[in-house]
Amino acid sequence: MKKRETANKDQMRETKSKSKNVSVSVKSQKQKAVVKEVKPVEKEVKSLKEEDLLLDSGTDSDYDGDSLSGSLNSDDFDSDIFDSEDDGSQRETEDGDRESSKDEVHGIEGSDDNDDEGEQVDSENGEEDGSGDEGSEQDEVAEESDSSEDEVAPRNTVGDVPLEWYKDEKHIGYDITGKKITKKEKQDKLDSFLATMDDSKNWRKIYDEYNDEEVELTKEESKLIRRMLKGEAPHADFDPYTPYVDWFKWDDAIHPLSSAPEPKRRFIPSKWEAKKVVKYVRAIRKGLIKFDKPEEEPNVYLLWGDDSTSDQKSKHLTYIPPPKLKLPGHEESYNPSLEYIPTEEEKASYELMYEEDRPNFIPTSLSVMVNVFVHRFASLRSIPAYPNALKESFNRCLDLYLCPRVRKKRINIDPESLKPKLPSRKDLRPYPNSCYLEYKGHTGAVTSISTECSGQWIASGSTDGSVRLWEVETGRCLKIWQFDEAVKCVAWNPLSDFPILAVAMGRDLVILNTELGTDEEQKNIKDLLQLGDLPEPKAAVAAIVSWLPDELYGGIKIRHFKNISNIDWHRKGDYLSTVMASGETRGVVIHQISKKVTTKPYKIRGLPVSAVFHPSRSYLFIATKKNVRVYNLLTVDEPVKKLETGMREISSMAIHPGGDNLIVGSKEGKMCWFDMDLSSKPYKTLKNHPKDITNVAYHRSYPLFASSSEDSTAYVFHGKVFNDLNENPLIVPLEILRGHSSSNGGGVLDCKFHPRQPWLFTAGADSIIKLYCH
Amino acid sequence: MPKHYRPAGKKKEGNAARYMTRSQALKSLQVNLSLFRRLCIVKGVFPREPKKKVKGNHHTYYHVKDISFLQHEPLLEKFREIRTYQKKVLKAKAKKNEELARLLLTRQPTYKLDRLIRERYPTFIDALRDLDDCLTMVHLFAVLPASDRENLEVKRVHNCRRLSHEWQAYISRTHALRKVFVSVKGIYYQAELEGQKITWLTPHAIQQVFTNDVDFSVLLTFLEFYETLLAFINFKLYHSLNVKYPPILDSRLEALAADLYALSRYIDASSRGMTVEPKSDASSSSQSNDREESELRLAQLQHQLPSSEPGALMHIVADNNKEVEEDEETRVCKSLFKDLKFFLSREVPRESLLFVLPAFGGMVSWEGEGAPFKEDDESITHHIIDKPSAGHMYLSREYVQPQWIYDCVNARIILPTEKYMVGSIPPPHLSPFVDNEAEGYVPDYAETIKRLQAAARNDVLPLPGVGKEDLEDPQNLLYAGVMSRAEEAEAARNKKKMAELEKQYHEELKMELRGSAVDVAPVVEEVGEGEESVPDAANTQTAQDTSDMPTLLMSRKKRKLYEAMKKGQKKKSEAVEALEQRKKRLNAGQQ
Repeated sequence: MKKRETANKDQMRETKSKSKNVSVSVKSQKQKAVVKEVKPVEKEVKSLKEEDLLLDSGTDSDYDGDSLSGSLNSDDFDSDIFDSEDDGSQRETEDGDRESSKDEVHGIEGSDDNDDEGEQVDSENGEEDGSGDEGSEQDEVAEESDSSEDEVAPRNTVGDVPLEWYKDEKHIGYDITGKKITKKEKQDKLDSFLATMDDSKNWRKIYDEYNDEEVELTKEESKLIRRMLKGEAPHADFDPYTPYVDWFKWDDAIHPLSSAPEPKRRFIPSKWEAKKVVKYVRAIRKGLIKFDKPEEEPNVYLLWGDDSTSDQKSKHLTYIPPPKLKLPGHEESYNPSLEYIPTEEEKASYELMYEEDRPNFIPTSLSVMVNVFVHRFASLRSIPAYPNALKESFNRCLDLYLCPRVRKKRINIDPESLKPKLPSRKDLRPYPNSCYLEYKGHTGAVTSISTECSGQWIASGSTDGSVRLWEVETGRCLKIWQFDEAVKCVAWNPLSDFPILAVAMGRDLVILNTELGTDEEQKNIKDLLQLGDLPEPKAAVAAIVSWLPDELYGGIKIRHFKNISNIDWHRKGDYLSTVMASGETRGVVIHQISKKVTTKPYKIRGLPVSAVFHPSRSYLFIATKKNVRVYNLLTVDEPVKKLETGMREISSMAIHPGGDNLIVGSKEGKMCWFDMDLSSKPYKTLKNHPKDITNVAYHRSYPLFASSSEDSTAYVFHGKVFNDLNENPLIVPLEILRGHSSSNGGGVLDCKFHPRQPWLFTAGADSIIKLYCH
Repeated sequence: MPKHYRPAGKKKEGNAARYMTRSQALKSLQVNLSLFRRLCIVKGVFPREPKKKVKGNHHTYYHVKDISFLQHEPLLEKFREIRTYQKKVLKAKAKKNEELARLLLTRQPTYKLDRLIRERYPTFIDALRDLDDCLTMVHLFAVLPASDRENLEVKRVHNCRRLSHEWQAYISRTHALRKVFVSVKGIYYQAELEGQKITWLTPHAIQQVFTNDVDFSVLLTFLEFYETLLAFINFKLYHSLNVKYPPILDSRLEALAADLYALSRYIDASSRGMTVEPKSDASSSSQSNDREESELRLAQLQHQLPSSEPGALMHIVADNNKEVEEDEETRVCKSLFKDLKFFLSREVPRESLLFVLPAFGGMVSWEGEGAPFKEDDESITHHIIDKPSAGHMYLSREYVQPQWIYDCVNARIILPTEKYMVGSIPPPHLSPFVDNEAEGYVPDYAETIKRLQAAARNDVLPLPGVGKEDLEDPQNLLYAGVMSRAEEAEAARNKKKMAELEKQYHEELKMELRGSAVDVAPVVEEVGEGEESVPDAANTQTAQDTSDMPTLLMSRKKRKLYEAMKKGQKKKSEAVEALEQRKKRLNAGQQ
């Protein structure tokens, strides 16, 4: 069985192989012809034509098969199929494995010949079976005709080169004599088109690029082409299905090609094949090999079928949903209300803004601008595509997966409700609230003022070097003392029977007799101010201070080694503290007027700013740049207490007449209230001034305190201290006093309360002193 | 000793233990950055803000739990598998084993995201809440051109298109659309589903351009997730209508690019089931047309619906129940364009209007094939046209610009069409998302619309005794509130004016009195006069002082908060000021 099948299958192939075998012998004769046959396929038209010509030349043209068939014919003609099969089987016996490979090789080998030879053998079969020995002769004839045809047909002898090489040339190639063949004039496209339209035969005209000419196909040729397009053989009379004729006469063969006996394996089924089959069968049974495609599961299904079951709490972190995008406002409309479109100037101002501040959507008006996107459109159809669509979408994506999400509570309350409830100001009267008097006379900024303890007089010192004495009620200037230097500080003696004035200017401290008061008082003062024989000062003190008589106004002049920044009288009127800001550790000294003695009580840490005596007890408060230290005047050298203000630079300090509370003003415009019973940290910090605080002051009897600042304002506060220790001081801001004008960067330089009345004096850099009354 | 010294053997605590930086996360997950990004996007993991940033301010921090969440994600393993598989393919290709490479490519491992969606959105409402971005993205990609360079396949664009149309068809069918706003960026729609307000943006139907400053891989990863999400949501929604999903569309209409119409017909057809009388809907106006429609539907039914559907009768009942359940708003929306028939011209944005008009109960047709009725249909009431002039005009219908529809929709009344006539510039298109009262500035046209609404309500409102409706209508209440507020404000203003006049008179009297007392205190008078010359300024100053006083005593935190709030208020008022000034200038320019 098997043999027969193979034989049937290979029938055709074997014939071919045989013919090939034979052809080898003939090859030498017809080599040329074969070469000729393998023509480049690209030149379709040309080859077509040639074939055509071949056809035309008729039966005597060069059919290679002719010679072949002839040679075959010469051998045994009437062979048997079975014999041929025999032959095949014999070959098989030689080597079963190699057989197939050989066959393949054969096939491949034959392929180049098969195309032409085999086919032509077949074609030959139909037409001229048994044409005999003429074939070889014909072959020669065909060769001749071939050459003659070569002479006739191609005008161009440029050879097998790409025609692009001649694209830019004027000629297309060379004729046989080597002369250039010039190209024809190119026709105008329109003209050629018209010409083609006119010509009814146009459809059968073909341009031959190689020869640069138009060729008109004949009817036969066009038929040929049509057949080729259909994939049929070019000639109508060619029959591809001719019955097979075995030309080999097997009967006469006496000897088999191989005499080897048939091997056993030819007769038993293949073991390996069986194994392979078993393998596949098993794979199929196991389901490893499936013949029908697996059913595709539906991509979508009811994911949220029953929501009630999915109430279980996720074990994961809380999910923070992404914030929704802001919804568009009126200005994003394609046709916004006209007032939403900013003017040119506004747009220009947007350009100047920082990118973060700039509104991210700027509507523009109907007037067309070059590179700005126009945002007002007369109709829907005129809206263009939004160029940033992708970009915005991308940014949103980035936000979604790159930005940390935090749940923030948005407070939706009235901001006013944040303000603390304060007692009404009306209930806290009296307090200074309006300017009642102005004291004019100084020509420079008034740096310091001081009130006499009775409240009848005030003294003021100015940068013009004058100290003036004013009557409070009338504003009359009673007295003027003129000095060479700018006055830094003035201070009245707190005792009413010693109306003397301490004036600090530069490095000097001058004790002035104001010549007020009764004669007896005057006498006392004169005694006091008499510099008799001075006690021998200590060496340490002598380097700092020297006591001198004041020739100018007949007082005492105490010369310091550094500029004085602040002075303060002790409540008993005998001691006077002086602060020298640049004096460092020796920055604070205390003078005793009655004994004309100076002591340097403490070693100061840091730059001293202000030193104030406790109003009732023997303590001294020294403010350095950041802290306030409290020293006991009688006993120890170390501070009793240290108050941490937490401010950058202290500028002034005042002590509540009760002595347990303290306010400190700083150069950053903050004011601290210390309750010393409470803690060493501020009880309350008020940020009231935008600029430096120059001075702070308490009222002696009313629950008032004030601060003055370089921003030309003064604040008045209600600051009530309760006797009950459990109750914190009550602080209520009462009034902002404006009125001073700023000059040379200075505003209000000093403020002092009237000792009896709830009045406030302020000294301005504009050389005016103002009195604010209730 | 360093600041954050931790003795050996002691575990990390606090923020250091709870958060890790991104690079630490990458290391612990053993993935590269792009894979990490994909995982984060798909799983919805985002960085968190630790109270204390242990590694420094310039790092991104992830919660350790988030990272371990990713660690246990099966998808991570799947991604790794895919990567090794791709290596296999590469290897086959490198060895010129085309056959094997082709074979391998046909069996690539794939992954699904459905489990993730369930995990991220345990309930349907959760999914709806986060739908905004999803819809916007899908709608954007539905109009993008496919591009090889960006790895955007035609298939995906088509899928986006299909999904967006399915969504729109559902919204339109259930009349859930609430607001529409045509902006420069595109058209914003807002729908209300299960109490969730879902807003999305569709770009104008013009070819979008690709920009270079966009990383498409990020966008495509997001899109992948969103596509899946939207498909599931659509399934659920269609399921709730008892319609089969994915829908099978009329190929003829689909070819004509009228997908939406085809879809809505499909939904109508299938959800109606075997209703014999389809005219219960909005289409009751024209009988003949209706019959045709129903025939069409029946024809569709025959080949689309499973032949024997036992639940058909049931869901008719269900449908009816739903009709009853519909809230007030839906009923209003449904009947807005009830008896109107629209015809769209060629140049009108068809997709948008085909979505909006049926959503509000209108009947639409358009110029072109597959349209339900032709242009010469006598029953057409409105012809939407966007050309400067119309050619042949039928007297029986009104010719309006498309903006009219959007404005009507937002106002919930049929606006007069005079201003929207062909060729004229229509009145400003206002955003329905803005609360004008809260914003502090009411554009003119908003006032006009409000008046028209009031008028319409008076027409429509039943006798006061019925009462229920006007109580339920929130807009009505709002309007009343607004009116009363406005009146109050007016009254207060009048009062203030009167008080001011009075005060002025008193002050004048006082001045006269003081004039007689000049001699007594000249200095005082001088000062007083100085103040008097700018009484208003002084008054405002003192007023400001009194209001500022208490802020001194606030704690710093509160003060900062207060200042921030004040700043916000100021900014708002400045914006309003600017608007008013511009308006004034415009008015001046007109006169």
